[in-house]
Amino acid sequence: MPQLGESIAEATILRIDVAVGTLVRADQEIIEVETNKAVMGVTTLCSGTVSEIRCQEGVSYSVGTLLGLLEVTEEEVARTGVETMEAMEAKRSIVPEPGSPRAEANLHFGAQDDSYEEAPAVVPSVKGLPVPTGTMGAHYISPRMRARMDDLGLREADISAIAGTGAGGRVTVEDLERFIEYIETWPSSQASPMRLAVADAMRRSWTRPLATVGLPVRLDRVLDHRRKSDPKPGLTLYLLRAFAIALSEDPASAGFLMGEKVVHPRAFDIGVAVQVDDGVVVPVVRKVDQKSLPELVAEYADLVDRGRRRRLTEADLKGGIATVTNFGTFGLTLGTPIPLPNETLILGIGAGVKKPVWSDQVEAFVPATEASLALTFDHRVVDGGGAGLLLKRISELLQKPEAL
Amino acid sequence: MSVTYIDAIREAQAKLLREDPRVFLYGQDIATFGGAFKATKGLAEEFPGRVYDAPISEDAMIGLAVGAAIEGMRPIVEMQFADFSSVAFNQIVNQAATHFYRTGVPVPLTVRLPSGGTPGSGPFHSQSMESIYAHYPGLVVLTPATVTDAYHMLLDGVALDDPVIYCEHKFLYRWLKAKSINGEHLPIGQARITRPGKHATVVAYSAMVHEAIRAADRLQEEGGWEIEVVDLRSVKPLDMDTVLASVARTGRLLAVGEAFPWGGVTAEVVARVAAEGFHLLDAPPMRLNARDTPVPYHPKLWAAHRPTPESIAVAIRQLLSF
Amino acid sequence: MNSGSLAFRVPELDVKPFADEAFLNRDYLRAAFRSMLRARVLENKLSSLYKAGKIVGGVYLGRGQEAVSACLGAALIQGKDFFAPLIRDQAGRDAFGEPMIDCTRTYLGSVLGPMRGRDGNIHRGRPKNGMPAMISHLGAQVSLVAGMLFAKRQKGELAGVVGATCIGDGATSTGAFHEGLNLAAMEKLPLVIVIANNQFAYSTPTDRQFACRDLVEKARGYGVAGHVVDGTDLLACASVIGNAVKRAREGGGPQMIVAHLLRLSGHGEHDDGSYVPDTLKAGHYGRDCLEIAIQQLVAQGYATAEEIQTWQDETAEEVQRAVAQAQQEPTPDPFTEDWRALSTRFS
Repeated sequence: MPQLGESIAEATILRIDVAVGTLVRADQEIIEVETNKAVMGVTTLCSGTVSEIRCQEGVSYSVGTLLGLLEVTEEEVARTGVETMEAMEAKRSIVPEPGSPRAEANLHFGAQDDSYEEAPAVVPSVKGLPVPTGTMGAHYISPRMRARMDDLGLREADISAIAGTGAGGRVTVEDLERFIEYIETWPSSQASPMRLAVADAMRRSWTRPLATVGLPVRLDRVLDHRRKSDPKPGLTLYLLRAFAIALSEDPASAGFLMGEKVVHPRAFDIGVAVQVDDGVVVPVVRKVDQKSLPELVAEYADLVDRGRRRRLTEADLKGGIATVTNFGTFGLTLGTPIPLPNETLILGIGAGVKKPVWSDQVEAFVPATEASLALTFDHRVVDGGGAGLLLKRISELLQKPEAL
Repeated sequence: MSVTYIDAIREAQAKLLREDPRVFLYGQDIATFGGAFKATKGLAEEFPGRVYDAPISEDAMIGLAVGAAIEGMRPIVEMQFADFSSVAFNQIVNQAATHFYRTGVPVPLTVRLPSGGTPGSGPFHSQSMESIYAHYPGLVVLTPATVTDAYHMLLDGVALDDPVIYCEHKFLYRWLKAKSINGEHLPIGQARITRPGKHATVVAYSAMVHEAIRAADRLQEEGGWEIEVVDLRSVKPLDMDTVLASVARTGRLLAVGEAFPWGGVTAEVVARVAAEGFHLLDAPPMRLNARDTPVPYHPKLWAAHRPTPESIAVAIRQLLSF
Repeated sequence: MNSGSLAFRVPELDVKPFADEAFLNRDYLRAAFRSMLRARVLENKLSSLYKAGKIVGGVYLGRGQEAVSACLGAALIQGKDFFAPLIRDQAGRDAFGEPMIDCTRTYLGSVLGPMRGRDGNIHRGRPKNGMPAMISHLGAQVSLVAGMLFAKRQKGELAGVVGATCIGDGATSTGAFHEGLNLAAMEKLPLVIVIANNQFAYSTPTDRQFACRDLVEKARGYGVAGHVVDGTDLLACASVIGNAVKRAREGGGPQMIVAHLLRLSGHGEHDDGSYVPDTLKAGHYGRDCLEIAIQQLVAQGYATAEEIQTWQDETAEEVQRAVAQAQQEPTPDPFTEDWRALSTRFS
């Protein structure tokens, strides 16, 4: 098995194209192998006849393994300079003549008169790697690696940037240390606890198959309603109410999967993403389906205010069944938000944009304010169709803001 | 002026006979003849009444040594070959090794075992028995790899109140030389870093230390690898502190021994590193021993039976490529 | 003299009968007898304790061998000689000075016994008092005693010292016996080896153990002096064994004594010995040496029946106390036990 690439340690035999007795030319590809990077060929070193095949299709062999033997003529050996088995055996022969140059090289305790002068005792001067206390992705992580990662607070996701030089491309502890040394030459800042909390939540959420569907929604009616209201509900609150009503009509879509069951929500408590310094908090508005828009204004305003001031309690953050996020407030029109790890759905809305839309009634383009609605869902629980229906319903509800 | 490994053993015995009246030597052909390997050459003449030719009765030789040790003597019994100590196995492991535990009276005897293979010696003149004796509680098992250790560890071993199995390697007798029996030495129970390194640790003892050094040289030439070689020096007690510190430096371990592969010293080292230093290992720990057959006679077979610099190098390369 | 299926002839050996009757003296005979009696009473008690389930592990009695064992023990000098007893030597141990409490403590598992619970029953001894503790491998003690004597010689202290050990007919088949005796003989050490031929090694009769007519023939092979004695006869034992010890002490070289008797118990108390033919039990060697001894002592005027009765009563009481004390003492505690097999503490 030849060395097929810098970090390749082994390859699987896909196809052996010859049999014992087959005549082959020099540089002929006779075996097809697959590494974790590509399919490659093993070629002959010279011409000859296949005398032995020592490998099997479908099996993996390390680089350097003898896969087969060719019978070659002496002229061919002379022509190509290949090393025969016999020559290799002779090199390994261990009854050397006294004084022969091979004596020292191969068998240490060969000749009788051979002797060895001891070196004086030494003390180790190498400090080496620090002792850890207590992958190209998710490959084998050795105990030492794991201990070192624990020591540094790293997860597998954190080391995905490192190319591994170990067997099968694994990241070895030396690779890690080199990378860390390298990264330490870059400017860095300490991640805040908020940042780490968000990182952890997003990482956990991402372990699921998430998909996003979008729908443009006309905001004119909502904006109109809002202008005439006092106090003025935020756009997000309209969305919150529409979402809650739509969900109450189809609770299963906000359910979560536990084994073979879909667990439905008991109460339509929906969270609202609030951007704070260096992160996001998601306070939960309770029983949104049962409270009208005016009833929610004060509660919502209080949660958002406390959120920004970092005065939310644990109770404020628990128990949500879905989340609403208004990335339009940042001027964004499109987004693919990520649900919280314990929720199946997140509904986002982008910025409203004035644009011409076709009116069937007047058969002309009329100005309207449109925003993108985006619904990201855990595809194990909800499909595109279900998500689509939900979005359509929400859009419908938003066209009758006075009923919210 | 150079001193061989066997000179060191002889010198140590001479010093003991000279300075400690409790010491006497008992073994086959060790008196006028000076021993099969000449480990006691000249000692019977220099110290009359202290060096005895024993009958071919390994069991009784050890029984006698135990009785004498109970009565305050410090006998050194030379087995002509380690292989023949199996005849004395009962007296060593059941009489000598259990005595302190059972009666509270220690037995300060020393058994010298000429161990290990030389070309053409065959199955009954080549064995390495350290693993068998280390298995029994109540014995100290020493495996010196250097001329200095051959000298000092014999002195230190005889000074212990406990029974000592001193495994001297036959190949090293005349092959290994040093400028002198260097004054500084490590105590029993401490292993030595023979060669510092950072990419992998090779733990070895006795003659295998030298083979490991050759393999390490090879790897240095080949790819600039720095392989650390640890000489255990005493198999029991086993210096796990040094071994673990080495594995902490390198993350990779290969334990090499000349004994048979089932169990033994290399298995003990690997088991302890796996248990006590699991988080230090970046690769699965490896062992390399002789093959699972009796030691063959023909030099070509013999050379392939035990670890050599080549086979050690192959094992190290495998370890490094993980 | 002999009976049953065991037929033997004393072969022509170069053995001069003892002219010296020094051992047929009152003090020696009374001391030997008292040890026989104490051994018998103690061992009867051990047997009943075993049957009552109070003893863990095996119980090995010397019933039938008391005369041989006591005569050997009584001929040795405590503090000077070495005595490596085997499994049926309670009488010899007693005569050599082993306190009775050592026996009860070891059998009853008291941590205060000489073996501290680490070995049991007859695997006990006090090596620093010249009485090594046997290992189970038979024959191994022969070279051990030889070694103790060898050490004395190295130190220049061998004059007048004797090392003795007992062995059974079965154990003479071991390599260790052969090597040990051969070495002791070659080294010309004052070793006295008493072979108690009680005709059975566990269940194996002697015709499955050796082919020579009498074990004493081996003495010639080893180059040692050989004696035979009727092990049931106290006076004969006193004379032969006592004198053999004396001869060794005076530089007469190693001495082998083969005593003929019958094992009057099972191999251990777990064994009923039902394989011993009744003919042997009824024969000459089936006689109880203790009864013979009583007859002989009274007949020769070395002791009176009343004295013997008193000794019996005192012994019964002493045995009772030794048992009671050992039973009340603490047993070893695995949690405070020093679990080390080496005396050296390596860091």
